[in-house]
Amino acid sequence: MKPFWYLRRRSVKSDVDEELNLHLEMRIDELAASGMTRDEARQEALRQFGDLEATRRYCRDQDETREKTMQRTLSIQDLGQDLRIGIRSLLRVPLLTLTIILTVGIGIGATAAIFSAVNAAMLRPLPYAHSDRLVRIYTDTPPFKFRFSIADYLAFTEQQTRFERHATYTDRAVSFSNGEIAELLRTRVVSWQFFSVLGINPLLGRDFSESDGRTGSVQVALASHAFFQQRLGGRADAIGRPVRLDGAEFTIVGVMPPAAGPLERRYDLFLIQQFTPPTRKGPFFYSVIARLPDGAARNLAATELRTINRALFPIWKSSYQDDKATWSMEDLKTNLIGDVRAISGLALAAVALVWLIACANASNLLIARVTSRRQELAVRAALGATRGRVIRYLLVESGLLAAGAALLAVAIAYGGMQLLQTYGATYFPRTGEIRFDAAMAWVMLALAMSSALLFGLVPALNATGGSVDESLRSSRSSTAGVGVRRLRQVLVGAQFAIATPLLIVAGLLLVSLNQLKLVDMGFKTEQVLTGSVRLPGAQYQDPARIEAFWDELKRRVAALPGVSSVAYSDGVPPNQPGQHNNFALESQAPDQPQAVTPWVAISPEFVQTLGLTLIEGRLLDERDVQPNVPNSVVVDRAWARRFFPNESAVGKRMKSGGCTECDWTTVVGVVSDVKYDGVDQPNQGTVYFPLTGSPFRFLIVRSNGDPRPLAPSVRQKVRELEPAAPLSSVATAADLVDQSLLRPQSLSMLVASFALVALLLSVIGIYGVMGYYVQQHMKEISIRMALGGSRGDVAKLVVGQGMVVVIAGVIAGTMLAFAATRLMSSLLFGVGATDPIAFTSVAALMVMVALLAVAVPAWRAMRLQPAAVLRNE
Amino acid sequence: MPKNPLPLLQGTLDLLVLRCLSGGARHGYAIASIVREQTGGDLTVEDAALYQALHRLHRQHLVDAEWGPSENNRRARFYTLTPAGRTRLREETANWRRYARAVDAVLQGA
Repeated sequence: MKPFWYLRRRSVKSDVDEELNLHLEMRIDELAASGMTRDEARQEALRQFGDLEATRRYCRDQDETREKTMQRTLSIQDLGQDLRIGIRSLLRVPLLTLTIILTVGIGIGATAAIFSAVNAAMLRPLPYAHSDRLVRIYTDTPPFKFRFSIADYLAFTEQQTRFERHATYTDRAVSFSNGEIAELLRTRVVSWQFFSVLGINPLLGRDFSESDGRTGSVQVALASHAFFQQRLGGRADAIGRPVRLDGAEFTIVGVMPPAAGPLERRYDLFLIQQFTPPTRKGPFFYSVIARLPDGAARNLAATELRTINRALFPIWKSSYQDDKATWSMEDLKTNLIGDVRAISGLALAAVALVWLIACANASNLLIARVTSRRQELAVRAALGATRGRVIRYLLVESGLLAAGAALLAVAIAYGGMQLLQTYGATYFPRTGEIRFDAAMAWVMLALAMSSALLFGLVPALNATGGSVDESLRSSRSSTAGVGVRRLRQVLVGAQFAIATPLLIVAGLLLVSLNQLKLVDMGFKTEQVLTGSVRLPGAQYQDPARIEAFWDELKRRVAALPGVSSVAYSDGVPPNQPGQHNNFALESQAPDQPQAVTPWVAISPEFVQTLGLTLIEGRLLDERDVQPNVPNSVVVDRAWARRFFPNESAVGKRMKSGGCTECDWTTVVGVVSDVKYDGVDQPNQGTVYFPLTGSPFRFLIVRSNGDPRPLAPSVRQKVRELEPAAPLSSVATAADLVDQSLLRPQSLSMLVASFALVALLLSVIGIYGVMGYYVQQHMKEISIRMALGGSRGDVAKLVVGQGMVVVIAGVIAGTMLAFAATRLMSSLLFGVGATDPIAFTSVAALMVMVALLAVAVPAWRAMRLQPAAVLRNE
Repeated sequence: MPKNPLPLLQGTLDLLVLRCLSGGARHGYAIASIVREQTGGDLTVEDAALYQALHRLHRQHLVDAEWGPSENNRRARFYTLTPAGRTRLREETANWRRYARAVDAVLQGA
């Protein structure tokens, strides 16, 4: 067949030829009549005419141009007409229109919202200039990544040649008082190049300079934009003003722009780091970032790091010993966002599946609609509308629906983004950077267009497939009916096949959440209140004064009514260990790698206050903090079992921190287990050592009743004693446990809600299909009943028809889930990725719910009155 | 009949064609004959230019075209003015008159 434009071109061509020929012939006739021979007349006529060929071309050209513009105007008019008719006919079925717009709109909007979070977390670069050249440098002792010490950093500074700039930072909570109120500020103590590594310039004032970082210079600070606005009055004269932090004076030299990135957000002040030459290699509190030169070879930089570390190692041999440790670097973004692939993939897949189900559902509803409109469409075809034209009309309708859904989706995505910014931080990094950007707009556009095609094309092709003649003769031609039903069954089956893995994933997440809740915390979480206090360093330099403060605070809090005991520590369960420390057991060979476990400094009352039990030996007491007594520690049962599985740990000796010249540390007792590294982590074994000095401590209070009402009076006691040292991060122990469950909880809730929507849509789908089946087969069912078939047989027929589809879908879905859930095993706790109980119970649940949905049309079929139906036919 | 017929001024052919159609539907040959008769041979209008003008006016939607039987029953293409064509004819006629008057005034004044 020739394409239609070819046909039109030919007709233009022949029209022009015919017209010009007629002219010539009439002229020839005229000339011949005046006496010329026909040949002469022809010659003369052509001469008089002028350039015949050029005219032919010109005329054809004009005609074709006219044709084309008319075609265009026509099709635009047609489109306008289709739109008008489409809107009118959709408004005639408001329930269907609303259902499709709502479900697909929610699908698109939710998918776009989750995409915005994934985009902010993973896809978008860090908001720093040339952020691809930023790296994090650390000490690598798999599985741990340790920060640097001052000694490390100074050696690195001196010897490195491969990095353009580098900086170190460490966090410090400092107390700030402006005379009336005392509050704890979050500050970051940074070396002078910190902001130039990130490529951020101060908004006001100046950046740190090299001389600021020299020991003995005036202590200077940069204010964050928020701190500048809220505490410094937002006026430029704040520059140069002194602020009192921990009792010492710092001068504000500049104000930073509003923070955008994860390295500087959420800090009030940035203080200059002044290094004093270290006397030992630790402690390791200094994070290092560096900027590579443009086009630098990363492997050369990495090699240099290893070389410096190897050279540095022997110098500090006496105080730190772990040959396995190397210096390493990795991309800063990778380092900051951590491994969020599993969680992003899961959330995105879950929400996209909901969208797909919504489209399948819409497709299903629209098939039913065009099927009932077959006659109308056949009339259009009979009146001369081509198949393409009818399909286009139907696609315009679905385009309208998709446009409505997209509009709703924008609102939903916007709301979802607000929610994710507020609550998403428990499972997504960088939620502060979520915004509506171009990528998001493209994703929504793509989703809307694919929605229109997904739920529009299948019904359109299906509706226009049959012959016009046949459709006109019978609205319920049996062959068309079967085809449509098949198609709808396939769609519903697909819905169940998609919903099943979603529900299984949700089920697995809920089971692991439950398992997490069942974990034995090892201590009585009721009736325990915790908080932390940091003494201002400048006023509390004398150890005796620090000790006196803690003693007095303990006495006063213990005297409060309702308090049964008070203790201090530098860490609290379930996920705040004071520190991780390496140690060499007396029994182990010197070249063996040293184990690393949490080390928690505690006051003597700790074990009793938290409700731990002594299993063996004795507890730490006042004697152990006296000077010149042997170092004693208490370990927990997990530690004792890990290192001394077959004997008593009491009396065993070790050297902590890898220090080879230090005195022995002796285990004097074993207590029950508590987790410090997170509820979902195995207990590695904890060492408790006596707490002395330390301007920072956790205060742990056991109450006789509900601990919450105690908080204000405890806070009051701290303020009485030292106004510059506020009590912060006050929580009950139960709160601490709940907080650590926040991430699995919110994730499982998110996925579970998606799964429920998916289930609901699938149920609507099967209900619709079976309702249609019954309606279509009223006659057959009635005949069956009239011929003596029982109502039970009818019910069996309808339920059987529906459940075949459902069960096929559920089986397919279960197999999909079996292949897919292992990808999320890192998010599970205490349950296997292919847990048979979860799989079978979800499958059973789906079948039962579907059974309920199928029962309604079956019930309707059973109550048909055969005589009435057959009379109407 | 003068010896040297005048060449047509640019742009006036469209006006002449529109004018010829103001009396009703005509095919190309008829228009050519009318132009020839009414100018008494003072203006040369090439048939080629005439047909090009007809198709151009058709593209501009100033005239409509329809196939119909000619006087001796052959299939001919008949042209009629569209409302837009009628308006254009009025405007162009007025313009032409102003133009001719202006040129004439200068010629007489000099």
